[in-house]
Amino acid sequence: MKKKILALATCICLAVSLAGCGGKEESRETSGGQEESADKEAATLNIAYQYGVAYAPLSIVKEQGLIEKAYEEAAGKKVTVTWNQMSSGADINTGISAGSIDAGFMGAAPAITGVTKGVGYKIFTNLSGQEHGLMTNDENIQSFEDLIGSSNQIALVNIGSIQHIMLAMALENAGYDPHALDANIVAMAHPDGMAALESGNASCHLTSNPYIFKERQEENLHEIMDVTNAWGIDDTFIVGVASETMHDNDPELYQALCGAIEEAVDFINGNPEEAAKITCEFDGNSEEEELEYIQKSKYSIETSHLFELASFMARTDFIETAPESYEDLVFDNVSGD
Amino acid sequence: MDEKKRKIHAFAARAIFIIALLLIWEYVARSGMMGEKSELIFPSLEAIGDAFIRNFIQGYAGISLWVYIGNSMRLLLEGLLIGILLAFLLSGLSMVSQTFYDICNLVISVFDLLPGVALLPVVIIIFGVKPGVIVFLVVHAVLWPMSRNVLDGFLAVPKIYVEAGMNMGLKGASLLWGVYFPAATSYIVSGLKVGWARAWRGLLSAEMIFGVASCPGIGLFINQMRTNMNNAEMYATLVVIIIIGLVVQYGVLSPIENCTVKKWGMSK
Amino acid sequence: MTKEEKYILEIRNLSKIFDADTEKEKEVLKNVNLKVDRNEFLCMLGPSGCGKTTLLRCIAGFESYDGSVLVNGTERPRPGTDRIMVFQDFNQLFPWKTVEKNIQYPLKLQGIRDKAELKQRTREVLSKVKLSGHEKYYPYQLSGGMKQRVAIAKALALRPEIILMDEPFAALDAMTRNELQGELLRISMEEKCTFIFITHNIQEAIVLGTRILVLAEGGRIVVDEKNTIKRPVTPASEGYGETWERLHSALY
Repeated sequence: MKKKILALATCICLAVSLAGCGGKEESRETSGGQEESADKEAATLNIAYQYGVAYAPLSIVKEQGLIEKAYEEAAGKKVTVTWNQMSSGADINTGISAGSIDAGFMGAAPAITGVTKGVGYKIFTNLSGQEHGLMTNDENIQSFEDLIGSSNQIALVNIGSIQHIMLAMALENAGYDPHALDANIVAMAHPDGMAALESGNASCHLTSNPYIFKERQEENLHEIMDVTNAWGIDDTFIVGVASETMHDNDPELYQALCGAIEEAVDFINGNPEEAAKITCEFDGNSEEEELEYIQKSKYSIETSHLFELASFMARTDFIETAPESYEDLVFDNVSGD
Repeated sequence: MDEKKRKIHAFAARAIFIIALLLIWEYVARSGMMGEKSELIFPSLEAIGDAFIRNFIQGYAGISLWVYIGNSMRLLLEGLLIGILLAFLLSGLSMVSQTFYDICNLVISVFDLLPGVALLPVVIIIFGVKPGVIVFLVVHAVLWPMSRNVLDGFLAVPKIYVEAGMNMGLKGASLLWGVYFPAATSYIVSGLKVGWARAWRGLLSAEMIFGVASCPGIGLFINQMRTNMNNAEMYATLVVIIIIGLVVQYGVLSPIENCTVKKWGMSK
Repeated sequence: MTKEEKYILEIRNLSKIFDADTEKEKEVLKNVNLKVDRNEFLCMLGPSGCGKTTLLRCIAGFESYDGSVLVNGTERPRPGTDRIMVFQDFNQLFPWKTVEKNIQYPLKLQGIRDKAELKQRTREVLSKVKLSGHEKYYPYQLSGGMKQRVAIAKALALRPEIILMDEPFAALDAMTRNELQGELLRISMEEKCTFIFITHNIQEAIVLGTRILVLAEGGRIVVDEKNTIKRPVTPASEGYGETWERLHSALY
């Protein structure tokens, strides 16, 4: 019996001591935190981003040190920017809610999920729009009519992903139940989906730049235009989000971040050839390919149809809470709809 | 009586450990030390408990977690069964033919190293886009460690059993079935344990990146909960996964062990 | 079975080489010839490494060899139930089967399916080795001596032509060993069966054997004599001392 009590006591001691350590660390962070470090030492900025040509402006920001420059001009202080490549919007959401990430770049859908879930961030900029499309290898499939109720499989990157939402939108636009094709979805990564489509193992693939361009070149594949028209290159695809803490506590850093993205977007739009030279290395493409993909993307800091997207997601149960206004989603400086 | 005392002691120790763990969790969750958004990424036990019930009642996309569990278990059982039978077949043939053994040994060593998920593109091209892909990945997860164990078990069968068997007129397949298999039981059981754990994990990770919406499994459920930032639901699903694991361990594997190697006094 | 040869076992020019064509090449058995009468209890004595175990394994069919082994006049190069081996190792019973099942399994393999007959034979042989009532035990629950009794019972149940025994009592304590020698002697006198029994122990050979062989290196037979001492043999029996001396001097 003594031993048992001892064991219990040890466990509790352990619990308390662990908790104690955590507590101290936490108090240091919140009380001292931003202001103190902003005054005396160099500020820090942790950015999470993802991989691909849709994120091309970020390579420019990173390579040319745009944030660091803008911050030094505005605040006269140095900032250390850390870039973390992460593999999904969900991971970035977790990172931001845990406080280890200050700003992140992700698809509009996970960003809307994060904002409405109360992760504690808002969208501070639009980044890019891309072309998307639903490709099929089956002559007999010409419209949604041929897919609904069939056993044809639609490969797309994930259930609840922006591609899934596009499909739902296109279905609604065509007068069907937005979830009419949910049971036909097979979730897999873009390259796997392309392989499945080309080998005839899946009859449809809903994908984005650059895979959509590769698939459009294949003779035996054709496109079902509903999806292409539902959410196009001008519509918001990738956005940047910034934590409210950073926005409130260090406005100069926030401004520097916004300015840097704008500068990079302007640069990429003004000098695509030069931009391609810089970004091709990061994306692992040849310079020519990279230039082609950049030219087929739309880089802009203005959102487009973002609120409409959020409302649609809420209406069709992709998210639980609907945002009340566009301003719920974005910070004041963002323009667009 | 001593045995009983020991059991009570083991039970008490485990219970105390688990309670302490839960207390730590609850303390961390409530202290807010995980940042302002603690409740979102580090939900309290109460929230997880609620989510646990919600998972079964509401589920996701109008489908209860039961359905996801059912789908996963069906694929898992199919994969396990095929994997185990193939493992027996491979090890059996290896004992009969030296050439086969040499090749098999290499194949096991090579394929055991490959993560199933990395094979996904190839598997999709060969098998198509269907739940069979998951079954294949489960087979891949269980087959190699299981074959390795069974083969090791066969090689470790004492010569005297083999000779006694031959003396009774057993040879070839009947010797394999009558002597090698029962004599290697302890290896086979430990192979089953390893194989089951690998298959269960393999299934979940495969389902998290390859989801057939018409046959959604637990992995897909977890992924959905993660995507939607429903972390309480996600942790609740992890609890379900642990419970299933324990049920299989104590409800299936331990009884198998008890009525074979333990009963025969063969446990190592 | 139709025709009964004069000799139950005939070994002709048997040679066995281990590690042939290598540096370690060793000729364990050189041209061994041996004839064994029906119902004989043949004890083989010999120093370690003389090839007596190898000879027994050749007879059982566990080893390949040059020459021939004829059982009841026919060549038997492979193992079979006409020659059942009882090993020295206690762990020769299948641990996953009960005593009863260990005895019945080879019988079933012989095609005996009738439950009553299986039961009856099991009962019979177990009572012969004085283990009645131990049917449901698993081998790990038995002592070494009991395991050896079951092994003998298992062999008897098959009613083989020859029972081959490779020092089955060597690992037992002296008391159990004496006891088992007594049992085996009684059984061998009751059964119509030929025994070939390897031992290191001169006393054991004199007590059990109706014929005693002493082997030297290469399986060369240096002594081959009928044991004429009146049974049951005790150290006090007439002729025991001389026989012991004779075998001892042949051995060392």
